[in-house]
Amino acid sequence: MNEPFAPPGQDWQAVSPALARLRRTVLVIVTVVTTGLLLALALLLPLPVWSWILALVALGFVAACSWVLVGRNVRWWGYAERDEDLYIRHGALFRTLVVVPYGRMQYVDVQAGPLEQAFGVASVHLHTASPGTSARIPGLPAAEAARLRDRLTALGQSQAAGL
Amino acid sequence: MSAPTEPSVERRFRRLSPLTPLVRSAILVVAALASTWDDLLRGDLGPLAWMFLAVLVAGAVYGAASWLRTTYWIEADELRVDTGVLSRQSRRIRVDRLQGIDIVQPFVARLFGLAELKMDVAGGSAREGSLAFLTLRDAQALRETLLAQREAVRGTVPGGPHPTVGPAPATAPAAGDRLVARLDLSTLLLSLLLSPETVLFLLAAVAWVVAMSTLGWFGGVAAALPVLGGLLLTQFRKLSAYYGFVVTTSTRGLQIRRGLFELSAQTVTLSKVQGVVMSEPLMWRRMGWARLDVAVAGQVEVDGGGGPSASTVMPVAPRAEVLLMARLLLEASGSPDADAVELVGAPARARWAAPVSWRHLSFGIGEDVVVSREGLLIRRTHVVPHARVQSLNLHQGPWQRRLGLADLRVDSPPGPVRVRGRHRDAYEARDLMARERVLAEAARGSFVRPG
Repeated sequence: MNEPFAPPGQDWQAVSPALARLRRTVLVIVTVVTTGLLLALALLLPLPVWSWILALVALGFVAACSWVLVGRNVRWWGYAERDEDLYIRHGALFRTLVVVPYGRMQYVDVQAGPLEQAFGVASVHLHTASPGTSARIPGLPAAEAARLRDRLTALGQSQAAGL
Repeated sequence: MSAPTEPSVERRFRRLSPLTPLVRSAILVVAALASTWDDLLRGDLGPLAWMFLAVLVAGAVYGAASWLRTTYWIEADELRVDTGVLSRQSRRIRVDRLQGIDIVQPFVARLFGLAELKMDVAGGSAREGSLAFLTLRDAQALRETLLAQREAVRGTVPGGPHPTVGPAPATAPAAGDRLVARLDLSTLLLSLLLSPETVLFLLAAVAWVVAMSTLGWFGGVAAALPVLGGLLLTQFRKLSAYYGFVVTTSTRGLQIRRGLFELSAQTVTLSKVQGVVMSEPLMWRRMGWARLDVAVAGQVEVDGGGGPSASTVMPVAPRAEVLLMARLLLEASGSPDADAVELVGAPARARWAAPVSWRHLSFGIGEDVVVSREGLLIRRTHVVPHARVQSLNLHQGPWQRRLGLADLRVDSPPGPVRVRGRHRDAYEARDLMARERVLAEAARGSFVRPG
């Protein structure tokens, strides 16, 4: 009996710690902007001071929780390249483990938005004939993403099975 | 156009039936007549009538021009269709990419002996692969030509590259086809009467009558009427769609012919079957009836409502017959017996995650297929051959982790079939995943790609 979300005989390959930095940067930006909005509203609306303090404390709490959760979530992203298939595990709270056989891949996408480019990461997305296949690996170092894409494409072609 | 089918014909440019614009605008003509009826009888044309007349004349001119400018021909393994009055479009449909070719006869077209050729193109929209309207004979001939050409291109015909090209009537089974199942009218009517929709409505009606007689409460009539109308309409649509349902087998796969007003002939190519789902509504179980739907590669479900669906290969039949058809459909991927697969229910602690439905969740892995069953009111048995499994997905939410449960999902192409084991023991789910992974890999390896 296997631990339900254990790696398949080899260790999980982790995603780049830059992903946590990226998400925390976004979190900080959002928190700062929201705080600014709250302060601006405080000047405009005649509500008692304690209610604004309460709102700021709640915001700080949510931001702190998110900061921790981002770390947990990024640690839980992992993938394992095997001879015939790719395992992907993600989600700390809602856990998911996906197995995609190379022979079932239709195509592989590599995406990197402006923010991701700034942090030097990219995400790899595997597509099969099923729209239900949610096989995505975010936060890979750009070079690793390109290598993975090339390897997956090559394996996909050599092992392709008919629909 | 009713040109005879000879090999040289395929080189020529051909046109649709000249009646096409008339059939396409039949609804408009009827609407025009209906709305200007009074004026027409009086012999005095009001502004509305003139407007309609202008639209009709413009439509007729456009229709005629469109007919003149639409040509199709077969060249170099492609069906080419040129259309467009002002801006020209040229479509090229690769014959070897055709998944299936259906002949459909909408009511008005049927009156004129015309038919529409619908082609399933992998990844293409429905609009892209339609040729409307042709005479029925032409449509059949073209369909046969395309199918023969496709098989010649793929080179996978068992009896040589060029099978006999003969007209296969859309309305009657061709000689050599073997009858698999036929739906008789009384069964169809009774099944509609026993459908979940009807029963729910009747229950609501009884409750309403009781409330009215005991409490003197008369509300809700206005709301009930549209619901009743909707119900009747849905059931009538099913009746007219499933009327005369006949399933036969031929060398190309399963042939389905059905329809009261709008006849349709459909071919399910066995090598494209991705899985089947058998549905047994509560009220049907006493009669031992079931319904069978199939998932076919390239055929995406459009109709999501309660109406008739194109994926249905048998609207209602005795369970044994449905299982037989399921076996026939899955034959290309082994020799599966969906009913022989041992299904295991979810553990008792799943009641904390799914209080009502946990008793009705089961999952099993057989020699050739993976099967799951769920549903209280409508029990659905989903079956996917190992050779068709795309990817596997294990999922666990925080509440499920507390209970030590997890969901296992078998991903397959879009369609009605969805095999999943919900609220399994987490360790068992991972084990099942590992087993299914190995079986799917083995099945994929031994499975020869069909063209």
